[in-house]
Amino acid sequence: MAKDVKPTRKNLMEIEDRIELSERGHGTLEKKRDGLIMEFMDILDKAQDVRGDLAQDYQNAQKKINMARAMEGDVAVRGAAAALQEHPEITTESKNIMGVVVPQIESSRVSKSLDQRGYGIMGTSARIDEAAEAYEDLLESIILAAEVETAMKKMLREIETTKRRVNALEFKLLPDLYEGQEYIEQKLEEQEREETFRLKKIKEKKEQAEKEEREAEEAEAEDEDEVAPDDESGDTAEPDMEQSTAGGVPGGD
Amino acid sequence: MSQEIAVVGSPEFTTGFRLAGVRRFENVPDDEKDDRLDDAATAVLEDEGVGIVVMHDDDLEHLSRNVRQEVETSVEPVVVTIGSGTGGGGLREQIKRAIGIDLMDEDEQE
Repeated sequence: MAKDVKPTRKNLMEIEDRIELSERGHGTLEKKRDGLIMEFMDILDKAQDVRGDLAQDYQNAQKKINMARAMEGDVAVRGAAAALQEHPEITTESKNIMGVVVPQIESSRVSKSLDQRGYGIMGTSARIDEAAEAYEDLLESIILAAEVETAMKKMLREIETTKRRVNALEFKLLPDLYEGQEYIEQKLEEQEREETFRLKKIKEKKEQAEKEEREAEEAEAEDEDEVAPDDESGDTAEPDMEQSTAGGVPGGD
Repeated sequence: MSQEIAVVGSPEFTTGFRLAGVRRFENVPDDEKDDRLDDAATAVLEDEGVGIVVMHDDDLEHLSRNVRQEVETSVEPVVVTIGSGTGGGGLREQIKRAIGIDLMDEDEQE
């Protein structure tokens, strides 16, 4: 990733912003994950109890219906079962636990009195009534278990997602961003060093050029100095001569 | 919205629930479970009027891999399995995966 980013100050600032955001998000998500796990532990305890009751209710109900079958015959039990008029219904409401919407299941018409069941009292025996009652209890337990297990499943999914997000931030995104930041910083430092070095070189060259120029000038000046005395004597002699001649002429005249 | 409870399994398993008033049921005789249980489970899972599906633990063995996974992870409707007592076969795996520890195992040992 680091090689894909352009080493510019703008990118560095962007990466720094993203790092800040990611670190903040990572912290928040970690807290959410821990909170969810704590809530989950509470629900798990409840689920264990509900499961225990459910198993016991099921055993009890099975015992009762087996007894009814043995005493009344399978056909009589099935006949009674087919005659039921009232049917249990469930309505779900939702509850929010740390952002996870879990259902709260309300049931109606699960437990019924003898005359509500719909099969005739005369045609069936008490064994069937007992079996029906046991299964009604079992249904109540099942509804409770369904509520708790749905909550558990939903929370587990959320915990898994949150955990994955936390891990992705911790082990993928943040290291990549840090790497990118370091890469850009190093590149920028290197560029700075190169720039300083280049400036130094340029300065050196310039100084060298100036020095050479100065030396050349000095040398030229020296050359001129060396040539100058001859010229001066020649030059000065002439005016003198002119002067002398000039002066000489009037004086001569 | 009011929903119903559905039962899927052998006629012996469903009769008791019918006695308690459950009217949505799928009877699959034991010798036909390998062929028909997948379809029966899918049918109740896809039924929007069903809020809770009750199945026997041992019946999960007869389901194909995809349907079984769907049954174990389904939230709407939620599938409650009863029978051998361990309960939530898929749930245990899910807990292990999400939390990282086998919490149910730890609780059983206590």
